[in-house]
Amino acid sequence: MVYYGEGGDIKGFDPVKASDTETAAQVCKVYEGLLEYDYLVRPYRVVPRLAVAMPDISPDGLTYTFRIKKGVRFQDDPCFPDGKGRELVADDFIYAFKRVMDAKTLSTGSWIFAEHVVGVDEWAKASEDQSKPTDYSRPIAGFEAPDRHTLRIRVTKPYPQLLWVLTMQYAFATPREAVEHYKDDFLNHPVGTGPYRLKEWRRNYRMEYERNPTFHGQRYPAEGEPGDREKGLLEDAGKPLPIIDRVILYNVREYYTRWQMFLAGQIYSAGISKDYFNKVINQDLDLTPEMSRLGIKLHKTPEMDVFYIGFNWEDPVVGGGKTLEEAARHRKLRQAFACAINQKQLSEFNNGRVTPASGPITPGIAGYDPARQYPWRFNLDLARELLAEAGYPDGKDARTGQRLRLTLDMGGAGDAEMRQMGQLMVDFARAIGIELTMNFSLQAEHWRKLEHKESQLFTSGWVMDYPDAQNVLQLWYGPNESPGVNHCNYKNPEFDKLYQRILTMQESPERTALSQQMVDVMLADCPCAFLYHRLLYGLMQPWVANFKPHDFPYPNTKFYRVKPH
Amino acid sequence: MTATAANSAALAAKPQTLWSTAWRQFRRNRLAAACLWIIVIYVGIWLYAESVYWTAYLRDVVPSYKVTDFDARNAAPSLRHWLGTDFTGRDNVAQLIQGVRIAFEIAILSSAILIPLGFLLGALAGYFGRWVDNAIIWLYSVVDSVPSILSIISISYVVGRGMKGIVIGMGLVAWVGLCRLIRGEYLKHKQRAYVAAARALGAGHLTVMLRHIAPNVLHIVIITFTLLFPRFILTEVILSYLGVGIANEPSWGVMINDAKQRLWLGVWWELGGATAAMFFLVLALNIVGDALRDALDPKLKTAEGSAT
Repeated sequence: MVYYGEGGDIKGFDPVKASDTETAAQVCKVYEGLLEYDYLVRPYRVVPRLAVAMPDISPDGLTYTFRIKKGVRFQDDPCFPDGKGRELVADDFIYAFKRVMDAKTLSTGSWIFAEHVVGVDEWAKASEDQSKPTDYSRPIAGFEAPDRHTLRIRVTKPYPQLLWVLTMQYAFATPREAVEHYKDDFLNHPVGTGPYRLKEWRRNYRMEYERNPTFHGQRYPAEGEPGDREKGLLEDAGKPLPIIDRVILYNVREYYTRWQMFLAGQIYSAGISKDYFNKVINQDLDLTPEMSRLGIKLHKTPEMDVFYIGFNWEDPVVGGGKTLEEAARHRKLRQAFACAINQKQLSEFNNGRVTPASGPITPGIAGYDPARQYPWRFNLDLARELLAEAGYPDGKDARTGQRLRLTLDMGGAGDAEMRQMGQLMVDFARAIGIELTMNFSLQAEHWRKLEHKESQLFTSGWVMDYPDAQNVLQLWYGPNESPGVNHCNYKNPEFDKLYQRILTMQESPERTALSQQMVDVMLADCPCAFLYHRLLYGLMQPWVANFKPHDFPYPNTKFYRVKPH
Repeated sequence: MTATAANSAALAAKPQTLWSTAWRQFRRNRLAAACLWIIVIYVGIWLYAESVYWTAYLRDVVPSYKVTDFDARNAAPSLRHWLGTDFTGRDNVAQLIQGVRIAFEIAILSSAILIPLGFLLGALAGYFGRWVDNAIIWLYSVVDSVPSILSIISISYVVGRGMKGIVIGMGLVAWVGLCRLIRGEYLKHKQRAYVAAARALGAGHLTVMLRHIAPNVLHIVIITFTLLFPRFILTEVILSYLGVGIANEPSWGVMINDAKQRLWLGVWWELGGATAAMFFLVLALNIVGDALRDALDPKLKTAEGSAT
């Protein structure tokens, strides 16, 4: 059974560097972690993967004890003696966790343990010494292996998100032999315990995986949410995974080519570009008869993400302000800008594939309320009024008579859709008399600018790492300012205090209420103008079975089946 | 008597300068003359586009080509919008006309950097020779060894994106060709008797370089300018297409980039309009440039003819 699909530009197969969704999807085919998301059950929950069961958590919430499955073997690889994969032990996790914290691996995932696990920060600090190799024999107090198949993680304060982050690719078991054998080339030689092994990788062109013959065995879930059985999602319940023998992925950058390949049945799924939307989707937001005739299936799902325009809190025009009077004026300017954004038009521009965002909390997360009204929703009269109060009547500085000119930094240079979106923002700002200039950079340069606090206004977005409001609220937590994830560099002691409280609380109605309180505090200050949440419109070939949209879909290929066609 | 009268008639006629001879020869080339008219039309459009831009700028109002009509977006060609509208409902013809402005501005501003730079370095290298020549040859070999698009992109990263980045980038990269030609001319001219005479009369190096030799090599600048003009336009279009060029003003590259996605839906007019506008200008400039070279520098033509 062969399965053809589309893989994106990936960084390689090193779990500690898999920060983007494309790379994560490939890493998850070969590597595994202690836990993973349940494929079918909603709301999302984590289930054991390489762990025998969910961990024992001490009453104070500070110690997690995992028992690791026995008899699990790494795939056969020349890095092992005789080329035979050895058994997975607890130390493989400790080694992998140390690699995440090692400054020399340039991991993007150290945040999952930093400031949480006992002793990791000191260990990470010591690894910064470039004059000598990092000492992996030096223990981290928070990671212990009392025996070969027991792993104990100790945290400094309650860290309820730990179970979510352990599903992430950063926390996947890595054999030390492979890292030491392949050295810098480890990026190109994945050696894991997962369902597939990499057979061939031609960078930026083609990836081929084959079933891992020593895979320890996992079975298709027998439990789903109501309606899954009717959709045929439980037909394979109890069958051994992976179902597909070979997975072949092409990297096709040009959308038109990708689309033609999809129509020709060469790849299993395709997104829908804005310009193709009307050809594929009709007025009722369903497939056109032409597409339905081909048997193509449409999946519409809200994504757990939020997109916004951020204001740099340190900017002298739109920032937090130095005096109380200045802070109030700048706040009104930001609010005016947010009110000028026509979210309905943005949605039309995207063919209805986005829903207006009323705040940072994304759909599918506790605290998200679709009925909630965004205080700075599109209102040109209010925008002009606020702008005048901010000292810019009709968009001109009341003191100098000069027009207010702002610069919006955007990533994705070369992407026509991105530039067109920027053009819309320019039009929105112009409606209240602000002259907005777009400044495009390639994505890496855009991140660099944000990390160095060089932008005035910038576009950004956040795709949730795990289904918890804290994951997105960290974007406005003061100590996370750039180069951390708080690229607005927003600072509000009240918000920070509430954030510290929810950080250590287990999920509860009280915690959700606190999250909403944080949102209110932040919305009043308006450190960013919220734009939208995306709706995923995916097309699927009729020959793909067992596909269920998932917000964390990276390891899910193992569940899919290809029907005879 | 007859002979004397003929002589005096000849004496009374205007002297034949390099420019008048060249102009006569240029006019004989009908294709080039027709292309010159095309360029004149483009210049007219350019001046009109400038007036639209500057009027709006000075009045502090939104220029007409930026006025959007979201409900009329992606419209097909009609009497009101000959080439339809774009994704925000702006008229594509108005965008195209402003594209002429951007193309001309970029070509002229880049030339304003390139010509003095290329001329000065070429003149210094050719006139002084020795280590000055070696240093300048080394410099242009280095500049020339890096693919120009990459150099321009790198420079625009440093000085800032958009018009400024492209102009400075192209100005700092494309001077090599002119520098080589001017250097060759100076090498040749400095051996001539008139230069020796000027030196003997006490003229300084600077005077000889600029007052005596420069007028004799000026036609090279004009030919280079005409032939580089289309190259600048194409480079701007490529950079804007790649997303590292113009972003806040209409540009043919941006239009082509926008239009390519919709080509599949049968929307040919956006792409066709921008491509045709660019095609005719670049073709006309190339033909006029070639004809100018033939007219102004017949030796160059012969040399090339015998080489090929």
